[in-house]
Amino acid sequence: MRSLLILFPLIGLAGAGLASESPDSTAFESTVKPFLSRTCFTCHSSRLKTGNLDLEAYPTPASVAQDVPTWEKVIAKLRRHDMPPVGLPRPDEAEIKAVTEWIEAELEQADLQAAPDPGRVTARRLNRTEYNNTVRDLLGVDIRPADDFPQDDSGYGFDNNGDVLSLSPVLMEKYLAAAEKIARTALFGAGPLKPSLHRLPSRGGKVQPSPTVPTEYDLTGLSLPNALHTTFRFPVEGEYLLRVILGGFRPLGSEPIQVAVWIDGAQVRVLDLDPVGGAAFELDRQELLGKQPEFRTRVTAGEHTLAASILHLFDGLPESYAGPNPSKRPPPPPPEFRPPKDATPERIEKARLAFEANLAETKAANEARVSRLEIVGPYDPVHAPTEASLRKVYACGHLHGGHGSGCARRVVTALAHRAFRRPVTSAEVEPFLGLVSAARRQGDSFEEGIALALQAILVSPDFLFRIERDRAVAGADPGYRVGEHELASRLSYFLWASMPDDELLRAADRKSLRKPEVLAAQVRRMLKDEKASALAVAFGGQWLQFRALESATPDRDRYPDFDNNLRLSMRHETELFFENVVREDRSILDFIDGKYSFLNDRLARHYGIPGIKGPEFRRVDLAGTHRSGILTQGSVLTVSSYATRTSPVLRGKWILENVLNAPPADPPAGTPRLDEATVGASASLRQQMEAHRTNPTCAACHAKMDPLGFGLENYDAIGAWRTTDAKFPVDASGVLPDGRSFQGPDDLKVILRADHGAFAECITEKLLTYALGRGLERYDKRTVKAITGRLAERDYRFSALVVEIVSSLPFQMRRAERVKS
Amino acid sequence: MTPITRKHLSRRTVLRGVGAAVALPMLDAMTPAFAAPGSSRKPVRLSFTYVPNGVTQVDWTPAATGADFEFTRILKPLEPFRDDLFVLSGLAAKNAYALGDGPGDHARAGACFLTGVHPRKTAGADIQAAVSADQIAAQALASETRYASIELGCEESRTVGNCDSGYSCAYTNSIAWRTPTTPMPPEINPRMAFERLFGAGEVDLDPETRARRVLYRKSILDLVSDRTRTLLGGLGPTDRRKVDEYLYGVREIEKRIERAEKDGGDVTPTIEKPSGIPAVFGDYVKLMFDLQAVALQADLTRVVTMMVGREGSLQTYSEIGIPDPHHPLTHHRNNPEWIEKVTRINTFHTELFAYFVSRLKATPDGDGTLLDHSMLVYGSAIGDGNRHTHEDLPVLLLGRGGDLKPGRHLVYPSETPITNLYLTLLDKMGVRPESIGDSTGRVEHLSEV
Repeated sequence: MRSLLILFPLIGLAGAGLASESPDSTAFESTVKPFLSRTCFTCHSSRLKTGNLDLEAYPTPASVAQDVPTWEKVIAKLRRHDMPPVGLPRPDEAEIKAVTEWIEAELEQADLQAAPDPGRVTARRLNRTEYNNTVRDLLGVDIRPADDFPQDDSGYGFDNNGDVLSLSPVLMEKYLAAAEKIARTALFGAGPLKPSLHRLPSRGGKVQPSPTVPTEYDLTGLSLPNALHTTFRFPVEGEYLLRVILGGFRPLGSEPIQVAVWIDGAQVRVLDLDPVGGAAFELDRQELLGKQPEFRTRVTAGEHTLAASILHLFDGLPESYAGPNPSKRPPPPPPEFRPPKDATPERIEKARLAFEANLAETKAANEARVSRLEIVGPYDPVHAPTEASLRKVYACGHLHGGHGSGCARRVVTALAHRAFRRPVTSAEVEPFLGLVSAARRQGDSFEEGIALALQAILVSPDFLFRIERDRAVAGADPGYRVGEHELASRLSYFLWASMPDDELLRAADRKSLRKPEVLAAQVRRMLKDEKASALAVAFGGQWLQFRALESATPDRDRYPDFDNNLRLSMRHETELFFENVVREDRSILDFIDGKYSFLNDRLARHYGIPGIKGPEFRRVDLAGTHRSGILTQGSVLTVSSYATRTSPVLRGKWILENVLNAPPADPPAGTPRLDEATVGASASLRQQMEAHRTNPTCAACHAKMDPLGFGLENYDAIGAWRTTDAKFPVDASGVLPDGRSFQGPDDLKVILRADHGAFAECITEKLLTYALGRGLERYDKRTVKAITGRLAERDYRFSALVVEIVSSLPFQMRRAERVKS
Repeated sequence: MTPITRKHLSRRTVLRGVGAAVALPMLDAMTPAFAAPGSSRKPVRLSFTYVPNGVTQVDWTPAATGADFEFTRILKPLEPFRDDLFVLSGLAAKNAYALGDGPGDHARAGACFLTGVHPRKTAGADIQAAVSADQIAAQALASETRYASIELGCEESRTVGNCDSGYSCAYTNSIAWRTPTTPMPPEINPRMAFERLFGAGEVDLDPETRARRVLYRKSILDLVSDRTRTLLGGLGPTDRRKVDEYLYGVREIEKRIERAEKDGGDVTPTIEKPSGIPAVFGDYVKLMFDLQAVALQADLTRVVTMMVGREGSLQTYSEIGIPDPHHPLTHHRNNPEWIEKVTRINTFHTELFAYFVSRLKATPDGDGTLLDHSMLVYGSAIGDGNRHTHEDLPVLLLGRGGDLKPGRHLVYPSETPITNLYLTLLDKMGVRPESIGDSTGRVEHLSEV
């Protein structure tokens, strides 16, 4: 049996230096107890039990060792200066150091004596993302049926948590229906789809009407609020009718406009539209309301980004606008005044004056816009199954019929092997073969039989669940090593949110996956594969919470610029940034202050960075700007704000939770709400939050949270840079409880970078939680500490973090449940 | 010889056992033996179909009154149903006028049509109208059917901001109001409406294929149940609990299949499940009418409202050669070309409605047809779309439910509240509210010639 020492390098290394000596109980009596009595018993005595904590109840060192969670918190709070709270006499730094080090040593002793514990992940079903990806990789079918499944619950911040994922009868019904659809699509192609209508709203920014023509503007119209940006999942390859519904106005006498439609950033069609001649409400302008130019084009299946914009918005205006390429149309006769019926002469005169004033007004030049996109289709969809799907199904090699007698067994065995992610016995395959025969007896074809067997495979628990069979535990081991195939599954669902590919399965078949060099090589291969983008989308989207961008609704009056283009661009920026860290194996510290990002023109304009043209994303050096890392990216800044204003508390909390690994406790009950009406009116936000600092109970958490949030006050609720907030200048300075101060966001980043140990621990914990699919417990602390220690030696490279996680005790092993054998 | 008894299966008994599954037509066992003609009351169905932006009145109102009137251009598509319809003139929705609130006739019309009240002018959350006539009926009959009422629509709702000169979009999105502050937004996706009525499972038309699919499904469920039981043996208790959820789900589905088979009525709804919103508007409207017909036929509900368009609708009708949006066309300012287009749109609407009427007429219901047991109201709360008038409303009443005796053009005294009509109809359903909105009494001549 392979020595366990290779897997448990963490035992004995934790707690730098002090682990080998047992602390003196005299130190407890002479230093620690008096300290507690002086500093802590004022509130945390047996009588008062403030915060439900009675520190008098620990008379001996052993008693401390028995209550690790409490004393862990004591260390943390003393170190962070959260305790004693602001307002009470602060003990000497040297004292705090001595006491906390003593406690730490005591706790580590306790940890060392406790048995190492790999924890136990519960059997869990594939979540929606994993189901979609697995079906795609297993059969080449990318119809994403799980998008119709009920939402997955999250636990510990991630939706792949085994304890929390449940399987309701509704979901079971959907699995059955989806399995049928998937099997048929793989073998026979997409089912007949009648053309149906899909309406995609603009969710655009507000167009500020203006009669003046700018000297320079985006001729493609894409980054203007007049355009529409959206995404749509085309169910199958085929011909689709795209209809652009317009709105707004053009001045009388303007030339026709040109509407461009873009798919995935490429212009696919330009449509001419002349607003003159159709039905209209208004007579003093050209009306575009409800006009709908359309065209047909072929589109491949899958999700595509779509955009519709007005080209050369300021071309073709009447000469009086002095715009480029003025209209050559003769100015139309001005509308006639029609007096209202049955009205008094005064009313008629009033109406006439209003009419003439309206006529004299120069109408806005920029009001033509796209209101909506409609997609009708598919027409003439692709019917046949794809070669790729057929190849994945028919392991016997006969893609188009002509099967021999052994084909059924070969095909079904191969499908089950890949779908169940492990070798299958012939006894296991028999019932599925039985289905193939049953179908043939009913008069159905061989292919129909295979489809039926495949359907059954797709609803088998072996497919839907990632089950790890308990094995015998050797001797005094804390758990058993998970099987090679189970390890392969853990690895692929961690890095790809999908099933193992053939190479990974082969390594498991050959029982070589657990070898450290093979494991490391596979990790590097998998991180380079494009499927690793799942890490950015699934892990990144939940850790950085940019999934919440989808439902963010910044107030349209305060932030008229916030359109779908900006929303989609923000998300894309953060996804690309994360993916880049993975692909180029950069240091995870880039998340704090990497001085680069990925921008398109819309986002660059939003950030105030000049010289970026065009809707494509490209890498941009951020030197000279006030932005770096993820904290100053629009996505993070928007999801940590309210719809109408920034919230230093939300942002401070965000940083504490996701960067510094120090999530604050919930606020005490009965906390009054901030008076929203007076914010920015009589006192600045900072002034109004003074209550947080003056009240010692509030200050315990807010002394840390608020300054962090205020450090980002230069970024408004949608991430744009500002130096004033309403009528108050922004004050982005702050002082942290440990005394460090900063003048603005750049200073703050320096401090956060200095705390990079905390960040490393933070991302390690989160990534480990995601990788394991369970919440972390106290016994995982050593794993986390060891990993972060070794990360420092490896320059904090992302691949190093992944390799460490994958080689760790909880990833490689599983605690056995005492089961009667 | 089998004794003839007065017992009969209520339709609901059969439906109750099938979980979230299928609808049934009237089975023979459900018709009571020895029913004296006219003695057992068939349930009366009530349906409201709303068309927006008014009509070209000169092409709507027949010249003659009484029984022998000539069908005008817009009403021509309904001529085959002369004996089943009333044209009702002279009705009004006075509370849709401004009454000092300024512009906003479309929002007011939509909100007033079935409520008879003047809605509060607001674009905010404090919207207020009144309980609508259809909902008064629905709430009274709620215990009789699975769904108290169904609301369908063919134009999507707008959810943000104001939709007509300072009135909230809630006023144009719905014509049905459950309470004075709770509108009932219509379902506009035919697939969703179908799934709500008949369940989300796959339904197939061909009975042989369907039977085979059920057989296959049972085989699959047997297979995976066996597999799971074997699997459970090797799992720890926490894992077992998770996999148990799976087994429970499998068992639930098996039970549902058993129940459906035992009831002997593995009958499907008589239309295919729609895949989404049809591409052509006419097909879309007909599909929504089909869904109504099927829901009424299976007695899933007795009250249906359908909005062919929202008030202020911008729908274009390219399939009849009109690419202009509807609402601006109705402000024709006497442009003859535009008036012609409006008339063609109005006629298109009555054509589609005629499809609905013909379906109901062709559907047997007890000892008659579904049309015989229904009261269908078709109309708008705007008379002349160009001038935003709310009197001389275009209103049709079809069917013979509640002892209606149609086949005439009735002209009521000018500005008779349309709510008087609703009060009368609700009476005939056995629902007797004191008043509805601005009603002043009942209308006459509907049940006597």
